[in-house]
Amino acid sequence: NKPTQNYIRPCYFLIPSRGTPLSRLLCNCDEVSAGLASADTIFALSSGHGRCGVAVVRVSGPASVTSLRSMAGLTGSLPPPRKALLRSITDPLTREVLDRGLVLWFPAPHSFTGEDSVEFHIHGGPAVITAVLEALGSVPGMRPAEAGEFTRRAFQAGKLGLTEVEGLGDLIHAETEAQRRLALRQMSGELGHLYQDWSNKLKRCLAYVEAFIDFSEDELIEDGVLNQVDRVVCNLQTEMEQHLKDKRKGERLRSGVQVVIAGATNAGKSSLLNSICQRPAAIVSPIAGTTRDVVETALDIGGFPVLLIDTAGLRDSLDVVEREGVRRARERVEQADLTLVVVDCSNLPIDTQQAAAFLQEHLKSVMSTQKQNNCLLVLNKTDLLPEEQRQNLDMELRQVSGLPPACLISCHSNEGLQDFLTALHGNPLVSTVIYCNRISSIKIMKCDTIFAIY
Amino acid sequence: MLAKKTPLLQSFRSLVFRHASHLSRQQYDVIVVGGGHAGTEAAAAAARVGAETLLVTQKKNTIGALSCNPSLGGIGKGQLVKEVDALDGLCGRAGDWAGIHFSILNRSKGPAVWGPRAQLDRQRYREFIQSELLSTPRLTVLEGSVEELLVTEPNPEEPGQHRVKGICLANGNHPISASSVVLTTGTFLSGSLFVGQTTSPGGRIGDAPSSPGLSQTLRERLGLRTGRLRTGTPPRIVKDSVDLSEAQLHPPDSHPTPFSFLNTHTHCKPEEQLPCYLTFTTPGVERVVRESLHLNCHIQQDAKGPRYCPSIESRVLRFPGRRHQVWLEPEGMASDLLYPQGLSMTMPPDVQLRLIREIPAMHRAEIHTPGYGVQYDFVCPTQLSPALQVKSTQGLFLAGQINGTTGYEEAAAQGLWAGVNAARWALSMPLVALSRTESYIGVLIDDLVSRGITEPYRMFTSRAEYRTSLRPDNADLRLTLKGFEEVGCVSSLRYQKAVRVRDKLQEALAALEAIALSSAKWRKKLPGIHMSENKNKILTGMELLEYNDASFEMLASVFPDCLSPYIEFAQRLNIEAVYKSHCDLQKKEIERVQKEENMCLSPDLDYFSLPISLSEEVREILDRVRPSTLGAASRLQGITPAAVINLLHYVKYTGQKERGIHRNQPNQKEQGEEQRCV
Repeated sequence: NKPTQNYIRPCYFLIPSRGTPLSRLLCNCDEVSAGLASADTIFALSSGHGRCGVAVVRVSGPASVTSLRSMAGLTGSLPPPRKALLRSITDPLTREVLDRGLVLWFPAPHSFTGEDSVEFHIHGGPAVITAVLEALGSVPGMRPAEAGEFTRRAFQAGKLGLTEVEGLGDLIHAETEAQRRLALRQMSGELGHLYQDWSNKLKRCLAYVEAFIDFSEDELIEDGVLNQVDRVVCNLQTEMEQHLKDKRKGERLRSGVQVVIAGATNAGKSSLLNSICQRPAAIVSPIAGTTRDVVETALDIGGFPVLLIDTAGLRDSLDVVEREGVRRARERVEQADLTLVVVDCSNLPIDTQQAAAFLQEHLKSVMSTQKQNNCLLVLNKTDLLPEEQRQNLDMELRQVSGLPPACLISCHSNEGLQDFLTALHGNPLVSTVIYCNRISSIKIMKCDTIFAIY
Repeated sequence: MLAKKTPLLQSFRSLVFRHASHLSRQQYDVIVVGGGHAGTEAAAAAARVGAETLLVTQKKNTIGALSCNPSLGGIGKGQLVKEVDALDGLCGRAGDWAGIHFSILNRSKGPAVWGPRAQLDRQRYREFIQSELLSTPRLTVLEGSVEELLVTEPNPEEPGQHRVKGICLANGNHPISASSVVLTTGTFLSGSLFVGQTTSPGGRIGDAPSSPGLSQTLRERLGLRTGRLRTGTPPRIVKDSVDLSEAQLHPPDSHPTPFSFLNTHTHCKPEEQLPCYLTFTTPGVERVVRESLHLNCHIQQDAKGPRYCPSIESRVLRFPGRRHQVWLEPEGMASDLLYPQGLSMTMPPDVQLRLIREIPAMHRAEIHTPGYGVQYDFVCPTQLSPALQVKSTQGLFLAGQINGTTGYEEAAAQGLWAGVNAARWALSMPLVALSRTESYIGVLIDDLVSRGITEPYRMFTSRAEYRTSLRPDNADLRLTLKGFEEVGCVSSLRYQKAVRVRDKLQEALAALEAIALSSAKWRKKLPGIHMSENKNKILTGMELLEYNDASFEMLASVFPDCLSPYIEFAQRLNIEAVYKSHCDLQKKEIERVQKEENMCLSPDLDYFSLPISLSEEVREILDRVRPSTLGAASRLQGITPAAVINLLHYVKYTGQKERGIHRNQPNQKEQGEEQRCV
């Protein structure tokens, strides 16, 4: 088991402040914050994503006690505060044992958020984590935390220092960005169509109901408009329930970080894919334009599920098939979590300063400036450069600003490949995998509950 | 008992209105410009709060005039009337006095969306409002035309910040000064009238146009963004010339429900109420509209008209080949006119006559006054604070159509709130805002100031997210107590009454909760209620009331000792029970929203230089809209969660330091407003 500390921790989970006197002074909180914190109960996976030995699921809010009682079988007295206790963790509805792990009880105000909190330390497999999160979602009054919500609550309760808070906005921003990219991907898929269809039906129902209450009996609202709504809602409810039962549908959505390999033709994109995969997943040939469609490979890099995507080389082509390939390539770049821009370094100007400018121009042709933050430059074919020029280039790229991080490699000789892989899995973007699949199924469950009330 | 016993008597006396030269003073706390629904409520509310108030209107006898339809209330609007009444405003009581046909719209639906509505007697309504204003202490009415709004040059330390000084009348020699001015110009701000191909300046047929100076000051001196909207009114029809046997009779409710919480019955006796009539358009109507389009200036204009009160032209052009409803409504007890609701039109008068005669009931009808269209300026309401004060001009408040709304009720609601705040500003009291979680007035103002408008804004129940708690029946509990304790616009008589209602309802609810029986016992006691046989659990009286076929009256007959003292509240308790479980669910959400609304963003924040991490796009949005609270900011389109957290950070830390500086400034007024900020 690899220790989890090796991974960059995703957003939510700033380490709780011990409350130095200074931060206490600054956090001299008033009634507003105290009140704000006491709304819903939220939960989230607080440890890193990906494969790990132990995963920590954190719960905060008034219903924390309920989750502790119903999931850790503590019907009698609560465990002593802040003491670990080994329990079987069960699903509150089916009583099925999900895992055996530690539970910790942090009664308010002595917790990270200042509210009643519970931590479940469970085994780190995705199946266990999914099961526990879904079980929590079924406890009344609980919902998945929004981006940064734990920290926000901690902040409102005066538990965070000023410096910790300042980073918070940026973290939430990264999180929402990742969600946006995921949503963009989902929208184009089969699941996207399904959700879009549901959303349209619900909006239509809402429109009917609003028209029904907003116009009086004699204003020609068609009869039976409400019956129609009842029918649609009833059907939707059945559909959603079935969707939830069909677990495979959730998995069909590709989870993991999407890493897109992009660049000009014949820069060695497919070779890079093959080098990373250590097997020929894409056809490699010295002929420019060999890859015409998108080639995807699922991988495990440093414990993170990664979907590596090779795309057609970006060039203007008269070939209809290739043009479509290029269009798809650009689309994938827009949706990517991380883009590896592969450049044939034998094409770079010999003067290293000009080389930097050349790379900047090149990046612009591949992607929008905004996307350039989520990008790694891979300068391939270093074996074709004289040693001195290679070193100069390496030096220059380390100094020049305004360029994304760069790696010099040779897929031919495997030179620099190990450093590249380290850079890849150390990239913070790789760690902002969000467990949207699980979240969305919990959201569908909530939707279902609301229908039941309706 | 009717609150107002003798308005008729008073109206026979000529009202004592003043001329400028006879004004007892040249200095007022509040000046209200305009005597329509917004203006009258504003003036009365300002005076109730305690400000010396002057109402300036062009013509004294058009105060309280119903310029368009002779009716009040309706769906969504009825809630506004109840809320204005709960805050001790005029229109609810005036409606009860002048109503000649009462009905509750949407009665087949849930009581939260019931729409109390009444047809009004135009003359009685006007008389009531005029006599009410006359008997309001601290309120003076002046006939005159406002030539100019007087404002100070912007303070060099706060660029763009003006302050109101007063007004100048068209033929008055002296300016009249005031700390606050409320503008309720209705359709008169750069108004132009349209009939057929002729256009003339004005806001209402028969009245002089208002001075162009006002509109100029708003746009040029104060730099306010304005837009143009249009509306229209139908021709009035001679009643005797209509063949009412060709129309469907629509009787009023047999038991009229008063608007006001102070009234137990309406002035008009149930049996004296007049009916309305329903007729429909024919293909001939559509033909006449199409044939006369080239003669119709108004319809060719770009300005947006009221979507939910469209002219006959827009109705047939938008939905061709359909039959459209036309209601024939009485104009008053003694009036010989009918108001054809749904036939607002702007074609030449001879074509109007041809058009109405295409409707069977009106095939020989005569027109008393032709219909016409109006175009007018409105001020983009995002430039206002939730107190309805213009953000860039201290002491200037706007209410009614000038803010882009349509409807008497919307105008009255804004007028009242603008009047309250104008008075509070003048008296150096902190300004107050209503939340969208507590009232339709709050929803109306929040929608206006944070989202702005693209077409005339009309209230609907669907606009209020928390409508199951914001019901017409509980407006007094929501607003009267607050109106007395925190706002100061409610008389102590009304307050005492609301306190009694609150206490009695609480007692009644406690009594209902205290009754607990097994469902088997309930079935035995009340066989009429359909409860499922297989469930056997303990139900309280309150839980039992949630059943469709249970009523408080039934329970009171079974438990007379503990429940019959509350029989007068039977209907309110029945309604309360229907929504109880839903309201409990919504309560948490409401509390969350209210917390965020308690965190204020100072109106003079420079969003471009705030030392916090915000994208340029977010800064531009915030700078343009200047939301007054964190809650309002989070509802804006394009504001990211990250931006909200950064703002929250600012409000809680940096904000405290900055406010410290503000407190040291000698400016009393500003401090007043800052106190509102957390």
